[in-house]
Amino acid sequence: MPRQVAMVIDLNKCIGCQACTAACKSLWSDEPGQEYMLWNNVETRPGKGYPRNWEQHGGGWKDSAHLREGKLHDPVDYGIASKLNHQAVYFDGTEQQLHKEEKMLWGPNWDEDSSSGEYPNNYHFYVPRLCNHCTKPSCMEACPVRAIYKREQDGVVLIDQDKCQGFRECNKACPYDKIYYNYVTKKSNKCIFCFPRVEQGVAPACARQCPGRLRFVGFLDDADGPIDKLVNKWKVALPLHPEYGTQPNVYYIPPILPPTYNEDGTISDKARIPMEYLEYLFGPAVHHALETVKAEMEHRKESGQSELMDLLIAKDWKSLFKIPDVKFS
Amino acid sequence: MNAIDRRAFLAAATASALVTNLKYAAAQDAGKPAQAYRRFEDLYRNKWTWDRVSRGTHGTNCAGTCAFNVFIKNGVVWREEQQAMYDGHADSDTPDYGPRGCQKGLRHAKYMYGKQRILYPMKRVGKRGEGKWERVTWDQAAREIADKFLDVSAESGPQAISWGSGTQMSVKVASYSALARFANISGVTVPEFYSGVGDLPTGVYMTVGQVYLGDVMASVYKSKCVLVWMANPAVTRIPDAHFFWEAKYNGTDVIAISPEFTPTAMHSSMWVNPKPGTDTALAMSMVHTILEDKTYNAPYIKEQTDMPFLVRKDTGRFLLGTDMSIVGKLAVDENVFYIWDQKTNKVVQAPGTGMAEKPMNRERRKYESIALGNLDPALEGTWKVDTLDGEIEVTTVFEILKKHAAEHSPEKTQSITGVHPSVVKNVARKFAAAKPGMIYSGYASCKWLNGDMLQRAMMMLLALTGSTGQEGGGIQFANAPKAGGMLAFAFADVGPATRIVSATTWDYDHGKMKDLNEQVYGKELAERCDAKYKESVREAYFPKYHEKGWRMGFFMGNNGANWRASGKKWREDAFEKLEMIVALAPDMGVTPFYADYVLPIAHHYERADIMFQSRTPYIQILDSAVPPLGEAVDDWDAIYIISKAISARAKERNIKSFFDDVDGRSVHRDPQRYHDLYTMDGRIRSVRDVIQFIINTTPGVPKMSFAEMAKKGIVRVDDSDIAAWNGDNSPYHNDVFRCVRDKRPYETLTGRQQYYVDHPWFLEDGEQLPSHRAPMRIPGYPMQFMMGHARHGIHSMWRDDHLLLQLQRGEPDIYINPKDAAARGVEDGDLVRVFSPLGEFFVNAHLSNGIQPNMLFMYHGWDPMMFKNRQNFGAVITTAGLIKPTSVAGDYGHLGYRVLAFAPNQTYKDFTCDFELAERRNQSAKT
Repeated sequence: MPRQVAMVIDLNKCIGCQACTAACKSLWSDEPGQEYMLWNNVETRPGKGYPRNWEQHGGGWKDSAHLREGKLHDPVDYGIASKLNHQAVYFDGTEQQLHKEEKMLWGPNWDEDSSSGEYPNNYHFYVPRLCNHCTKPSCMEACPVRAIYKREQDGVVLIDQDKCQGFRECNKACPYDKIYYNYVTKKSNKCIFCFPRVEQGVAPACARQCPGRLRFVGFLDDADGPIDKLVNKWKVALPLHPEYGTQPNVYYIPPILPPTYNEDGTISDKARIPMEYLEYLFGPAVHHALETVKAEMEHRKESGQSELMDLLIAKDWKSLFKIPDVKFS
Repeated sequence: MNAIDRRAFLAAATASALVTNLKYAAAQDAGKPAQAYRRFEDLYRNKWTWDRVSRGTHGTNCAGTCAFNVFIKNGVVWREEQQAMYDGHADSDTPDYGPRGCQKGLRHAKYMYGKQRILYPMKRVGKRGEGKWERVTWDQAAREIADKFLDVSAESGPQAISWGSGTQMSVKVASYSALARFANISGVTVPEFYSGVGDLPTGVYMTVGQVYLGDVMASVYKSKCVLVWMANPAVTRIPDAHFFWEAKYNGTDVIAISPEFTPTAMHSSMWVNPKPGTDTALAMSMVHTILEDKTYNAPYIKEQTDMPFLVRKDTGRFLLGTDMSIVGKLAVDENVFYIWDQKTNKVVQAPGTGMAEKPMNRERRKYESIALGNLDPALEGTWKVDTLDGEIEVTTVFEILKKHAAEHSPEKTQSITGVHPSVVKNVARKFAAAKPGMIYSGYASCKWLNGDMLQRAMMMLLALTGSTGQEGGGIQFANAPKAGGMLAFAFADVGPATRIVSATTWDYDHGKMKDLNEQVYGKELAERCDAKYKESVREAYFPKYHEKGWRMGFFMGNNGANWRASGKKWREDAFEKLEMIVALAPDMGVTPFYADYVLPIAHHYERADIMFQSRTPYIQILDSAVPPLGEAVDDWDAIYIISKAISARAKERNIKSFFDDVDGRSVHRDPQRYHDLYTMDGRIRSVRDVIQFIINTTPGVPKMSFAEMAKKGIVRVDDSDIAAWNGDNSPYHNDVFRCVRDKRPYETLTGRQQYYVDHPWFLEDGEQLPSHRAPMRIPGYPMQFMMGHARHGIHSMWRDDHLLLQLQRGEPDIYINPKDAAARGVEDGDLVRVFSPLGEFFVNAHLSNGIQPNMLFMYHGWDPMMFKNRQNFGAVITTAGLIKPTSVAGDYGHLGYRVLAFAPNQTYKDFTCDFELAERRNQSAKT
């Protein structure tokens, strides 16, 4: 039986610090041709995201058998990556102001804390994104040279760098825009779910290095693991844009923000994030997920008990990860 | 070197590619699905390999002390990953500390090889700030610096040389000890930056005679209601923020209080949004609610606070021993205070008061008791008492407080704070019901002119609910290590002879801040600040600095030209007046850039040191993963080289020893001996010897060799079984816990948590109890300027990392409410000019609906070099000269200058400015 490794991301703990982004970048995408690419990124939502307006660029499945057309992004949508003029300012004395060599007009988290709605009932939150290692990957379907495959042992989706010829069809087909073109090797690169680490029982860098302790990693079919409990038992973890049809294996616990205020300054019972927006991101199942989390929080407050809260609190950091052969001490 | 055994190596959740492939094969043998072997996959497996691992961290003043494994490949640091082995400690009823680290730490392996690095000693050849350098040898630089040092020392005394350290090095304990030792030997002035950066919680000090109140971060999980107030831990305490949300999941009310919708507010149970600078009104409204509801903890406040103490109604001053009897007057019983005992219906001396000696006498206080025994002090009432002045009416502090709080009822403060009374009451009731309640406070309150009163009000809320002194309760600032290893090292063989000055008042004297006050706030306020400060100096409450300025400045891991409140003015009137500026730093920034000599310092992974910060129960070490780049050396070695040159030149020039007056004491100084004294006559050979000295002499630090510690990376400190620093054997201060637990007098005039301060200056200003004061506004400038520590930097560090900038807007930005922007024709991404009567700077407009109208928000720390005209917010901040009169008060028990405890803060907030469109910039982003 093929197995599937998966991740659950608790948006109620994400503080947008980008430690995951930095960890991933240093490990995997630090070579020439990869400057602009963030296999893992964190974007502020509502917001245009990374790359800009990725949700409007198509891809995924039209129906169970046919791909939906997608299109490539302008490089500017990812944000132009450049270094700074340190040498000219500090050591040559030829320039006055320290700045990026190319001015940024857009960036991977340009909307950082921009917030939607109207003060004081504004709302925003952070959404970390990586390749979803989909059960039904549209990138794999789209690749004209069959360079993309899904591993039997863990369901990780990889682009064989020996086979890839850089047609960028996968890039268009991924509705999450999580495939990046390497301008030096002329091949497509993407998140590999840190498979060399997972093979060793070590969680992916973005998860193990997350100081917010908000990423659970394990196998979907492991009834003792956190993934099955959060996704299948409690049904509080949901894929992003399930309607794209790719069946993602990265799940999110939807965010709950503090209460809003009425015009007169009294506390309102109206949710801070409009439900339509959460439904847009996570589909109709978001209602049940939010109700469950809220009810269990209340239950914990009153009784001190709740399996779900124990899972989400994760007193023991290691409990976030359940990968075979996991070694910590 | 850095030999970590194989077990530890694997334990760190790491493995080499070889092991990978073997294990992968083994897994297949074990009957798992057979996989086609794809050779290409080895591309990635081979990438995740390395040659060596070293333990380290980033020795910066974020108080993070995060344990990292540093991976070395082909002789350079390739990447770092959190060590994350925090398991195995006793407080298993809280979440653990793994994995600790943030994006800055995770960028360091790349950043340390960035083009901002200073690689060899440089001497300025052009004008200051021109960027024209000559590369020189360490020998030449040290010799020239030594000559100037000796000249200034001989002509103006060593106090004319300032040696400041900053956040790059001052929390590296061994490095800082090296500086402290050299300063102690040579008499150079060490500017005190706790108050200098506006971080000193003077209101907490006024209340408990201590500023080191704070527990480990896991204590947040133990609280039942935590008010996150004047703090933004989701941004500023990234490795610790999880404790807040875990507490929330566990049933704790996490209530964020801030004008702007911070990332902390985002995840809190509730967000309260007062107008900027009105927090004291809000706090006193909560006090009012608790008093009205009678939900206060009467036994606690009767015993632990001055609330039952009697106050004369005629003078508003405490009833004292000197009021009561001629014997008392002769014995100068000014520290005898009284309560009204309800059992006997009599005036009775309050237990633990009446010490003839200064209240700060810690030894004495250890043996006194504030236990009430059979007494039952009245909290409410008015009585007539026979005194030397005849029969007078007395009442209690509590009674006065009740009337005072009534002026701050939630209904009355609504127009000030903008917070609805129902919200105030809701929060106050949650807080009063929580056992215990906590106020998690950053240093933001210290940066407001009247922030001391907010802290006093916060302490009052905690006292009324009996929360101070409980695990999971009390106010949370940072604790600090007890005086131990560092001072022992600084003073060994020499004795204490250090010259420390308050940077705030020094800047006031030498940065022409009175002129600034007059220009911005008018003559009346300027005169009043000045008169009180001068009176304080005249009365010898505070030392005088105005006679002699600095001629030479050393900046060691210190970007001082960046962060001074009114930075532009300070740079012009103080910094650039220095005859010689020497910068010792790993990275370029505005301070080294304007220096005359720039000396290269080793970066975090290129040196050894030891760090302890009270936020975790662990000691963290830094070990050298790789040799320093270029000609960089660590701070110990840098001072070694300079002190050697000073002593050598002193001998060559036959410069004699001299007597130096330090605060009235005569100290013998001999420049020819500086170097030998620094090294303890050769016994201290490197920073590793300093570290060992610190380990051996610091209380609460497990005794072992540095080599052994370096192997582990982290070591748990003593007496850290619970989430609070309440034990006597930990490295951290527990004085307040001891007062509560053992009923010992506090180090205040009254020996209690003191809420009523009857110093004449406090009475004059109506500050005997905490009151709201309207924030300072500059007429014609409508925007309150608010700042905070940054997410993507620790002060100015890492702010110029290209990836972290990529994740922002590539340049400094300022958050603005869209309505305020629209009123000025500004759109998102435009360049705006921000201006005040002091000056202007230019910055990217970042529109956000999370920002309250009529305020601007900007993260601090952005280096002036990243702005047009090299001016950052320091060009508009008008407040550096605002010295609060009550913060220089003295001759009143605990009040009076006390280094790192009571000194005026440099004010950073409390001003307004305005902005306008400077350049339409971002058309393409609007699609």
